[in-house]
Amino acid sequence: MARPIPLPILLWSGLGLFACALFGRKVVAQWPGLQSGQVVDLDSVILFYGLLPRAAVALLAGAALGLSGLLLQRILRNPLAEPSTLGISAGAQLALALATLYAPSIVARSSAAVAFAGGIAAVALILALTWRRGLEPVSVVLAGMMVALTANAAGAALILANGDYLFSLFIWGGGSLVQQGWDPAIAIGWRLALGLGAAALLMRPLAILGLDDVAARGLGLSLNASRLLLIALAVWLATTVVSEVGIIGFVGLAAPVLATLSGARSLKQKLVAAPLIGAVLLWLTDGLVQLAAGAGGERVPTGAATALLGGPLLLWLLPHLRLFEWPSLERPAHTARRAARPWLRIAMLGMAGIGALAIALLLGQGPHGWSLASGDVLADLVAWRLPRVVVAAASGSMLAAAGVVIQRVTANPLASPEVLGIGAGAGAGLAAVLLFAGSAGLGWQLAGSTAGALVALVVILVIAARGNLGPERLLFAGIAMNALCSAVLAAVIALGNAQSYRLLGWLTGSTIQVTGLEASVVVIGLVLITVPLLLAGRWLAILPLGAGRALAIGLSVRLARNTLILIAAFASALAAQFVGPLSFVGLIAPHLARMIGLDRSRQQLAGAVILGALLMMLSDWLSRMIFFPYQLPVGLFASLLGGVYLTLLLGRGVQRRG
Amino acid sequence: MAATALLPQPVSAAQLRIASIDWGLLETALAIGVVPAAATELRQFARIAVEPALPASVVDLGLRGSPNYELLRILAPDLILISGFYEYQRPSLERIAPVLALPIYEAGRPPYPLAQSSLLALGERTGRKEDADRYAAETAAELEERRLALHSFASRPAFLISLGDARHFRAFGADSMPGDVLARLGITNAWQDDTSYSAAAPVGIEALARVPEASIIVLAPLPAEVSRGLPGNALWNALPAVREGRVAVLESVNHFGGLPSARRFARLLADAVTREPNHG
Repeated sequence: MARPIPLPILLWSGLGLFACALFGRKVVAQWPGLQSGQVVDLDSVILFYGLLPRAAVALLAGAALGLSGLLLQRILRNPLAEPSTLGISAGAQLALALATLYAPSIVARSSAAVAFAGGIAAVALILALTWRRGLEPVSVVLAGMMVALTANAAGAALILANGDYLFSLFIWGGGSLVQQGWDPAIAIGWRLALGLGAAALLMRPLAILGLDDVAARGLGLSLNASRLLLIALAVWLATTVVSEVGIIGFVGLAAPVLATLSGARSLKQKLVAAPLIGAVLLWLTDGLVQLAAGAGGERVPTGAATALLGGPLLLWLLPHLRLFEWPSLERPAHTARRAARPWLRIAMLGMAGIGALAIALLLGQGPHGWSLASGDVLADLVAWRLPRVVVAAASGSMLAAAGVVIQRVTANPLASPEVLGIGAGAGAGLAAVLLFAGSAGLGWQLAGSTAGALVALVVILVIAARGNLGPERLLFAGIAMNALCSAVLAAVIALGNAQSYRLLGWLTGSTIQVTGLEASVVVIGLVLITVPLLLAGRWLAILPLGAGRALAIGLSVRLARNTLILIAAFASALAAQFVGPLSFVGLIAPHLARMIGLDRSRQQLAGAVILGALLMMLSDWLSRMIFFPYQLPVGLFASLLGGVYLTLLLGRGVQRRG
Repeated sequence: MAATALLPQPVSAAQLRIASIDWGLLETALAIGVVPAAATELRQFARIAVEPALPASVVDLGLRGSPNYELLRILAPDLILISGFYEYQRPSLERIAPVLALPIYEAGRPPYPLAQSSLLALGERTGRKEDADRYAAETAAELEERRLALHSFASRPAFLISLGDARHFRAFGADSMPGDVLARLGITNAWQDDTSYSAAAPVGIEALARVPEASIIVLAPLPAEVSRGLPGNALWNALPAVREGRVAVLESVNHFGGLPSARRFARLLADAVTREPNHG
């Protein structure tokens, strides 16, 4: 439009040149004959089969992810759809891990086909869950997050159960662009060319799919066929990248968004700009990763580095994003009738909790099968079982309390410590403490993770307040925060020292080593958290109504919010210390409490706290019993339970509407 | 703690029921004829360490990093063997039975001498001193024999690696058992960088080009992706060692083993090298 070269084009050209300069530096260093003492022949081999294809793969994979993200965002009319937020990459990765273990001959024949099957399965699951909600963006992204986290949890369980933990975990999710030949570049390249060709041919349906369904149907388009075809194309591109180089996050998300922000208006412009920007982004990131590499290898896989750069980018972009107008997020469908005698129900829940505690302590497997412990054996076993059952139960209760607080403070039924990335923030804080003082005790670790959780929560709430974010954008901010903190953790774990093991253990959540000391710490923590919250029941009741109402009633909104936020952050951090960041109990327990008719603030809190303990005791018991004598981390089971519940939650919405 | 095993009616050392959390000590115990009552990750042990063969009577305790304490409590061993890796489990384990920590791997120290002294200490503790002495002597003699057999192979340095995928490897340094044995066989390790093997990040295969004259020894298991991808890896194929057939692929060896693993590695290497005329 304008005569002078537009600023965005200058900017992207500049970044491209910078990436080019980083690449040139490597090429010069490797140029045959320049290094003394090296065989000239081998130098040129490294140049032609190492450096050049690596640059090619960075450019091609970046472009393929950019195109894949653009197609998905367009088809789903969801600015946050992309291969990693939709769980496509995680699904592909899990399929590869499963096939490597149980059907190695298939992987040996075609890993791309295995990855494609995994990616398609993930998308099919998400579409099935959200189809009749009209693929509403929040549902789609939540379902995607659930699929991704569940796939990751299942993958981690596979690795743990097979004992090859160390090696595989570094390559797992690695996204390393190291190359030693042209095959991956060619594999990605021809698919990218086909994808671009197909997108150009399908330009008309694609443009129309950006409109709403009624308009599209009016234009005589077989809506679902075109949609499915284009989704399959996008999945094909993304899973090719996964099978060739591993998971590379955020390029698929950032490239189309940046293309739009850089002034690409028409679909044609975007089809050119998004792949180009994706290519530059990945090439630049990879150049920086190589720049930071030492002799012993690269310290951060490129895939983790993209998330490190992409997370803040997304947080910054959120207020600027234009979301399509969708019917606003409903209150959860299950506004069950309020219980007539709520405290009786809570007492019954409490009895159930005591029953579950008894079962967790008594029932178990031994060398001779299942048995109910009694007498001396019981006294013996209780000494082992009690501390971990107590720690699991108390952690579940704290997460549930934090969930109730966060859902009420943000007036958002889908917010929770896990969804908003507060658990992951605790992990980043813990990582920082361990980096500076490897032998830090429980107290310092807790201080670090509480600080991390608090920073994450405050950042999200500030962004939400600044940008006047609705409930949807708040969840998106949480997803960005999760990705950012996970990238920090991945980078620290990739350092491969003693702290890495601690963080790995923390990530999956483990109650195996706890003793009476930890049990008493969490019980004291639980009391310190729940008693003030029960006293602050009025705040919890009023805050969801909005600041105006609260002020009218004479409540100091700022004081109330800040106090509650501090408590929620502490509760999340303390719980995450033992059960890991990904349990989803904080999301589920408050919902369940509502479903059984406890919706007044104090009642909901009390009910959720008991339900959280129940859920976590169940997870702990399952983690001890399912693969007896092998014990899997409790966090894995808690997140699998959470995945099942989220599926049901989204499914409920279907019935209501359909 | 140790005193409980020596109370009025002492369990005779030969009848000690032991449990081993560490794989290296499990190997070592089996090698001197002590069959533990329980040990960890037995299926994986049979796949990775392969030998010594496990009698069916040994009970699986679950993962090394999180053994099943309840099961261990029910089995009630008289002695639990750990290494430095598992020190953090000591408080829990000591509630069950006395704990004997025998070091094999310590940062920056070659493991062979530690493995040997742990073997002797275990022999002492279990009343099998003679078996232990004999095993240590046999191992030393076997390594010496292999060293002579590998004389011509030792004229070049060698990379000792395992492959994680078709693009990355991980090098064994002098602080790993295979790396230490390599040195004892008179072979120079071509990998001179930092080698905290246990958790070092994988390195791209092009790093193998740094020492063009070196041979390459690959330890199995090879993931399926490697057998598919490696033959087509242009850089791998361009490495002098690959072009000139100086690559030996060995069966799996326990990376954190004791003397039995040391012998297994030496035997596998000597067999592989003497079988193929290309080497040396």
